[in-house]
Amino acid sequence: MAVATRDRDPVGLLQRERPARPDLILVLAFVALSMVGILMVYTASAPRLTAEGLDATLTMRRHAIFVVAGFVCFAGASLIEARSLRMMAPLLYLGALVGLVLVLTPVGAVRQGANRWIALGPLQLQPSEFAKVAVIIALGALLATVADSELRWHHILRAGVVMLIPSLLIFMQPDLGTMLVIAFIAGIMLFVSGTTWRQLVFLLLTGIVGTLALLQVNALKAYQITRLVAFLDPSEDLAESALYNQTQSEIAIGSGGFFGKGLFQGTQTNLNFVPEQTTDFIFTAVGEQLGFVGATLVLALYAIVVWRLLTAAVGARDRFSQLVAVGVAAFMMFHVFVNVGMTLRLMPVTGLPLPFLSNGGSAFLAMSIALGLGHSVWIHRSPVPGERQVL
Amino acid sequence: MKPGLRIGALGIVFLTLFGVLVLQLWRIQVIEAAVNEEQAQRNQVKLVETPAPRGEIRDRNGELLAGTQPALAAIVDGALVPEEGTPQLDQLVQRLSAFAGIAPGEVRHAVVDAISQGERITIVGDLEADAALRVVEYEEEFPGVSVVPIPVRSYPLGELASDILGYIGDPNAEDIKKEEIGPTDTVGRAGLERQYDDDLRGVEGRILYRLDAQRNVITVGAEQAPAPGANLELNVDVGIQTVLEESLAQGLELARQTHGDPECNPADDPACPVRAVGVVLDPDDGAVLAMASVPTYDPNIFVDGVSNDEWARLSEQAVFNNFAIQGVYAPASTFKAIAYVTALEEQIFPQEITEPSADGGYFCEGRLEFAFTDGSQQVFNDWTPDGHGLVDLSGALETSCDLYFWEIALSVWTDRLRDDGRGTYAEDLLQQWSRRFGFDEVTGVDLPFETDGLMPDRDWFERTQRESPGLVRDGPWTGGDVMNAVIGQGSVLATPLQLANAYAAIVNGGTVWQPRVVSRVVDQDGTVLRENLPTALREVELSPQTVAQFRRDLALVVNSPSGTARSAFEDFGNNVELVGGKTGTAEVIKGETAAEDVDTALFVGVAPIDDPEYVVAVVIERGGSGGRVAAPTARRILQYLLNGPGALTEIIAGEEAD
Repeated sequence: MAVATRDRDPVGLLQRERPARPDLILVLAFVALSMVGILMVYTASAPRLTAEGLDATLTMRRHAIFVVAGFVCFAGASLIEARSLRMMAPLLYLGALVGLVLVLTPVGAVRQGANRWIALGPLQLQPSEFAKVAVIIALGALLATVADSELRWHHILRAGVVMLIPSLLIFMQPDLGTMLVIAFIAGIMLFVSGTTWRQLVFLLLTGIVGTLALLQVNALKAYQITRLVAFLDPSEDLAESALYNQTQSEIAIGSGGFFGKGLFQGTQTNLNFVPEQTTDFIFTAVGEQLGFVGATLVLALYAIVVWRLLTAAVGARDRFSQLVAVGVAAFMMFHVFVNVGMTLRLMPVTGLPLPFLSNGGSAFLAMSIALGLGHSVWIHRSPVPGERQVL
Repeated sequence: MKPGLRIGALGIVFLTLFGVLVLQLWRIQVIEAAVNEEQAQRNQVKLVETPAPRGEIRDRNGELLAGTQPALAAIVDGALVPEEGTPQLDQLVQRLSAFAGIAPGEVRHAVVDAISQGERITIVGDLEADAALRVVEYEEEFPGVSVVPIPVRSYPLGELASDILGYIGDPNAEDIKKEEIGPTDTVGRAGLERQYDDDLRGVEGRILYRLDAQRNVITVGAEQAPAPGANLELNVDVGIQTVLEESLAQGLELARQTHGDPECNPADDPACPVRAVGVVLDPDDGAVLAMASVPTYDPNIFVDGVSNDEWARLSEQAVFNNFAIQGVYAPASTFKAIAYVTALEEQIFPQEITEPSADGGYFCEGRLEFAFTDGSQQVFNDWTPDGHGLVDLSGALETSCDLYFWEIALSVWTDRLRDDGRGTYAEDLLQQWSRRFGFDEVTGVDLPFETDGLMPDRDWFERTQRESPGLVRDGPWTGGDVMNAVIGQGSVLATPLQLANAYAAIVNGGTVWQPRVVSRVVDQDGTVLRENLPTALREVELSPQTVAQFRRDLALVVNSPSGTARSAFEDFGNNVELVGGKTGTAEVIKGETAAEDVDTALFVGVAPIDDPEYVVAVVIERGGSGGRVAAPTARRILQYLLNGPGALTEIIAGEEAD
């Protein structure tokens, strides 16, 4: 009986590294999303800028600079090896906390009733965006020590502490959306670390109770309550103003129809009906101008990104890399679902940017870095499927 | 569970989340697309309408009778005010109410109207300059309110020619059914304003705003300026119209003096003279040179809306009706012109006479006794019991001898065509002749609400007996009915315009013109949009002799010592020989006692009689004798027409004559 021989790269015991080849699907999806983002930011900002007598490309150009910077960050992060990243975890975590504290000091800049920014010369950085990445890395480092199916309650407690410190700082800004992202990421990473059913139920209950408790706490800034209560009970009077954004956003997306109105043909977009359209509500520009077809394609690109990240996680060489890839996937997923869901009136208004589309430098950079870290997990995956490396 | 499985489970959860988003997208973008599309349209574009100035109305010499003046108005722009149900709207209503001094409820009503109609609605029509400034200065306090010049209708000559001009007002349910008229527009409700409403109205301007979410105007998308309505050029001459109205007012005063109580009120004194109506026509082409019904009203009162009290007070005297075309009167002796023409054209002369101008003539006694076919003896009394002596047709017209005309009617009746073929004349020969000259039908003048009067005949009589019993007496149609009709009594009814138009047709040789108030409709650039050319309703064949003799005899009525209008024209001055006319006194049997039966005074004048340029009809309701009241009134008008404004003399009572 003839034995079929397969051509294989010889894999020696000492040769466990494969040439660093990028995940082309992921990179193309990332680039495509960024390009759509530049186009959408341009179409959403140009009419207003023109009306004010300014250069129509002003906002788009600023955004494009961040996109280029983001590409560089992505490439850089893709090359970082898990080992060195894990060693830097405590440092990155502390740095994030320092940034979050600085925001609350006079160094922080107040914009739209919230101080989330630090001015660095002409740049305004938003430490909370980077804090999300830091939390992913920190949690990955913490939970990488857990052996399969041996997640203990103390792990959950420690993960809770790692998550809660930046959350509290963010809560004081206030930025409810970011708190929820961090909580979601933590939950997902704990799940992949091997929660028991009991632990899973506990986590879910804690999440629900925690969110509800926040609503009851008077400390919650009025506008957060308004946005949330209005969403939960649209019959309230305050719904009128708080739900305005979402009503207009739904009208904008809905009026796009199947094929969309075409670029610059969106009346809702052109006439500034949707507030914060280049940032939080950028998806309305997609929906109105490109229609169901375009919006679905954009969602498909996100699905590809999440799929590639999860695939990277499955093939990760070590536990830490796997958790980081899962954390990044959860990060992307949560932002996409909450942001798009908000424009479609499925979710309350939270102010989470849409990855790679929303105009906003810090978020774009932080997400590029996060995506790069996930990409790095793919690049540095084990040549032998299933092999784990203990760092 | 292995990490790979957990990640796989995670993938399924994440895929589900994407599925949820796509499903919701499908619902919003595909299933509800139409709703959202419409909502988006409404969101961004608002249309408001701006009123167009109505066209001007000018007399034949270009004098302005109706125009528009700009007035500063505070208007509410339906597209820009806060939405219904918002606290901002409540605030605005409160402020506007305080500013304009109008009840909040009314203000709210107007604002909501403006929103739902997408129009600009005037809140305060005639703003003082400082009030206007206040609105402009505190712009933010009055969102959607602005101060703009709006066109306001004005009638610079006040009451003059108001019966011709008519008035404007809110549209009624019927008007609103028209596509181009909205509930906040104004439409012509009477007179030329109504008749030519489509020309005068103009086209509303439109402003298309593109608004942002805060109802700020981003761009004025398209602004279509209102197109002013077309202008009307009238045949009416303000000079003649002025003298006509003055004379009618003086004639009415004279009638009231004659009545014995110059201050009498027609509302509570059934014998008090009610009104004086007059028409001046050009017999050569049917142009209406003047037309009035006194007392009248000032159409300016309708511009801002007339109060209920004022409306009630004025409508009690029916001042809003144009009695020259809406009032029907027994034409009485002025109607003898028809029998006169019939007699000449059909060669019908009372039996005793063979030639119309034969020396013998007809002896016009004070009473006519004759036997009806059923053998009953009938007595008809002339208007004066003394009679007029020996008269021919001319003399009969000059003295207004009833008997002579009765004899004409009797001649027709006695020799009427019977079923068995005997007889000469159609039974309704006189009615036929009257209809040829326009009685019993509307003249078609370009004014609304014209009535057609009545020319009774057997058909009408029998139909009325059948359809509205009690309105006419029982029994058959008789020669007596025709005798009543021939002197313009009985059931004969005509408008002053019909009367003037019939005389115009006879003296011009037989052309019955359609009277025309408007000569041309001209747009803002002076381009003629439509010309009301003289239109002949029909040509009546008249021999030149008939026309010439009729003119001569009309002049005799005024100039001959025995003419019924002689005394009224005594102080006419120059050119009196060029004036002809016919008096009339209609017996009106309305009251229960004889004292309440007050006659209608009539006079139809023609001048210059050799080549008539003017026909003047004057009717004074409850005025009494035509020779005493109507003839002097017409005299003053004719004085103006022939001798100019310097020749006018006071109206003094003439002799009492039919």
